[in-house]
Amino acid sequence: MSLTLEIVTPEARVYSDTVDAVVIPTVEGEIGILPGHIPLLTQVANGELVATRTGSGGSQYLAVGGGFAQISGDKVSVLAEHACSEDAIDERAVEEALKRAQQQIEESKNLDPQQYEHLQNLVSYSGVQLALKRRSR
Amino acid sequence: MASTRDIRRRIKSVKNTRQITRAMELVAASKMKRAQQATLAGRPYAQLMAQMLASLATRADGAQHPFLEKREVKMRGILLLTTNIGLCGALNANLFKLVGEVQGAAKFVAIGRKGAQYLARTKRDLIAEFVVDDRASFNDVKVAIEFMTERFLAGEIDTIEVIYPRFKNTLVQTPLLRPILPLTNVRDFAATLEAETGVCGALPRDDREMLFEPDAPRVLAALLPFYVNRFIHQLVLSAKASEFSARMVAMKTAKDNASKLLDDLTLEYNKARQAAITQEILEIAAAQYVAA
Repeated sequence: MSLTLEIVTPEARVYSDTVDAVVIPTVEGEIGILPGHIPLLTQVANGELVATRTGSGGSQYLAVGGGFAQISGDKVSVLAEHACSEDAIDERAVEEALKRAQQQIEESKNLDPQQYEHLQNLVSYSGVQLALKRRSR
Repeated sequence: MASTRDIRRRIKSVKNTRQITRAMELVAASKMKRAQQATLAGRPYAQLMAQMLASLATRADGAQHPFLEKREVKMRGILLLTTNIGLCGALNANLFKLVGEVQGAAKFVAIGRKGAQYLARTKRDLIAEFVVDDRASFNDVKVAIEFMTERFLAGEIDTIEVIYPRFKNTLVQTPLLRPILPLTNVRDFAATLEAETGVCGALPRDDREMLFEPDAPRVLAALLPFYVNRFIHQLVLSAKASEFSARMVAMKTAKDNASKLLDDLTLEYNKARQAAITQEILEIAAAQYVAA
């Protein structure tokens, strides 16, 4: 028994493979999913998604940002705003993006709420990416 | 017969036109490729979202949300997706035909300059105009959509509908009026979407009770606006792909026409030149004959 994990972003299908266990960051905290899980629809928060394969596979870490996840009959579908695997994270680019976003937040006092929300989201997602990248070293 | 100089001048101008249209064709072709990829890449996402919405709506019956509520339509809200610039064949004209058929009171929001100009010219109730660049990034489009959903929630408009050119393939774009809100029948909607996107990655059946975290109303409240934004964005991407396809085809036709015209003109020019030479030889020969 194994799970089919699928991660889709607006740009591409980032991940599609069979795994044995998945840990998804949700707005209520991290949840671990094993085969035979009850059907679930939940909101995904910015954070780390861990896909584990028992045996030789090891674990894969992905940074995912905002979205939804549905579990239905051993199929885990994650609908994320962003998602990238550990290797795909460009540390310097993320750092720069983070700095830019923080600067923008500080500089402009009366940002409109949507813009502010967008920037905050960017900051938090960048943070997740950096944490993931740095820990792996 | 026109003089050789006149023909030469025309040849030059047609050549220029051909060069310009060829360049525009190439530009449109490369943009089209990107836009088509963006549309196609976004489809699995839209598909999955529709599936989630469907399973949510069927299992969370009786959930209250303004987006799902059926209400009396006093004022329709229509989003018109057109291009910013012309030279794309009948694309915009076909959309305008659809606008002309709209019945009842309606307020319009336009994305794209051409649409705004048309609505202003025909004295329609245009409440806002947004310009989105060729990349049609999500954040640009979101501003327009959120403007509309705010009006919708405030009761200023009772529906949200989109008129856009649906991208079928490079040669075929069909203008379409697509109701988005209110979503009264989610299951039907998901089914049409599934048929349209052609991605039949239906989720495995699972009849056990579905769990919602934090809870169904809250997931619904988060998913619905998210869904509307993403879905309309997908339509904008489709409109962009249509635009560049139509432009490329229009420019290709223009280029081919220019080439044909150029062939005809060159033939005429050569004939005229030959005629002039023959005339000259005749004149010289005649002059010698007279002089002799």
